[in-house]
Amino acid sequence: MRKSLLKDIVNTFISLPKGLWVTAKNWSFLRPSVTQLYPEEKPTLPERYRGMPTLPVDPQLGRTPCIACGACARMCPEHIITVVPEKGTDPKDRRPAEFTIDISRCMWCGLCMEVCPKKCLKPARTFELACYDRQGMIYRLEDLMRLGGTLEPEAEESESSGDE
Amino acid sequence: MQIDTQQITALAVEIVKILAAAVVILVFILLVVLYVVLKLRWVIARIQSRLGPNRTGPWGVLQTVADAIKLFQKEDIIPQGADRWLFTIAPAIVFIPAYVVYVVIPFGKGLTVRPLDVGVVYVTAISSISIIGIITAGWASNNKWSLLGAFRAASQLIAFEVPVILAMCIPVLLSGSLNLDVIVQKQTGGIANWNLFNAFPMCQVACLMLLVAGLAEANTTPFDLMEAESELVAGFNTEYSGMKFALFFLAEFAETFTLSALLVTLFLGGYNPPLHILGGQLTGYWYSLVSLVWFLFKCWLVVVFILWIRSTFPRVRIDQLMNLSWKALIPVGLANLLITGAYVGLWLAR
Ligand code: SF4
Ligand code: SF4
Repeated sequence: MRKSLLKDIVNTFISLPKGLWVTAKNWSFLRPSVTQLYPEEKPTLPERYRGMPTLPVDPQLGRTPCIACGACARMCPEHIITVVPEKGTDPKDRRPAEFTIDISRCMWCGLCMEVCPKKCLKPARTFELACYDRQGMIYRLEDLMRLGGTLEPEAEESESSGDE
Repeated sequence: MQIDTQQITALAVEIVKILAAAVVILVFILLVVLYVVLKLRWVIARIQSRLGPNRTGPWGVLQTVADAIKLFQKEDIIPQGADRWLFTIAPAIVFIPAYVVYVVIPFGKGLTVRPLDVGVVYVTAISSISIIGIITAGWASNNKWSLLGAFRAASQLIAFEVPVILAMCIPVLLSGSLNLDVIVQKQTGGIANWNLFNAFPMCQVACLMLLVAGLAEANTTPFDLMEAESELVAGFNTEYSGMKFALFFLAEFAETFTLSALLVTLFLGGYNPPLHILGGQLTGYWYSLVSLVWFLFKCWLVVVFILWIRSTFPRVRIDQLMNLSWKALIPVGLANLLITGAYVGLWLAR
């Protein structure tokens, strides 16, 4: 009994300063803060970050290679993609006249991008999509091409590798 | 009866002086609390590898001002079934003692509002009134959590009032006065004369005791059982909101500063500079100013230390808390008092 009490007293004077020392180390310059000052300091997105679906521009065509097949529109569980093909063109050269995604209901599932036969629907590397009304959530063809940037040839490679 | 105009003017001047002192102290408490809360958030943030408030105003210094404004805008709710009258005056009963304690604290040479001869007794007597406010708040809220918090507050403050007084007795015995100004004056002449660095080892024990028991009195984190949010929602102030909650908050942080001011006054040389060259040769108003700066600087150090403790240690259990007081602090304090009494009576008096 007496021995344990003595031990307790000694332990108190050892363990309490120990605890203070641990927090002091964090407090000092030894451990800088991990906070990101968001609007000034943008987070580095992971390499395979999947954002909203967009239509990157193919540099050779000067537009998106989308053939307006509508597969993405049919696949989308939320039915938020509207594709209208351009009328009266050569069936070998189909392109969308209208392509709208109402991003407000998109759940970032990626099914539309997976099903696209031309692999032209790509996730954007952006996340700052806040806007003041619901109309701002509806992205049209030109918005999707602008947000998508350029289509990287890497997409073709993955397609060919899939064929092998 | 002849009315003496001179007496009346003297009385009027006295009343104006008292009112001015009251306003100055109130403003001082508000500023101190705003700063201590901000500093607490900064310290905790840094210890948790965060940055803390840094958006409101330059470096986030206006954060607590914004918090206070938010608090004043909140709806003032009095719950159904609460005792309206007691519920309303309880925050005042808690805040007023925390406020009037500042009357005897020597902020600098000649900067005590009232250098009472019973200063130490006054401090302990007044600061234990606030417990009545806490019990009132818990009782009047008509809420079991509040009441449990109040019970805990009662047992905790009774248990820790004793070690606080026992610890305060040591510097009182050594300097032979209950007047805080006299205790400070006894510690003039550099760091070696401060009670904390006294060669007599009971001083350090008493200082540690006052720190531990004072933390429990001011209910800061390792001992904040009366508002243990994991068990009691928010303890005695669960039902409070708006201005009334702000008063509790203000009182709590004012008490934290009072504790550090007492530690500085009783053990760290009060407003005396640590070396004679650092302001000791000045006289008059200049010395008052320099000693005020020294006092505030020392208080700042102690407050930062308290915040460090606060953000490091987890909350103790209620039985551990009671054991700490009744089984450790009070016996040690009594022995301490006896030894110091013998030392003063038999050794120093020779
Ligand atoms: S990611 Fe999913 S929900 Fe969003 S558009 Fe594509 S298929 Fe629809
Ligand atoms: S599935 Fe691809 S090619 Fe077909 S319409 Fe959608 S984006 Fe265009």
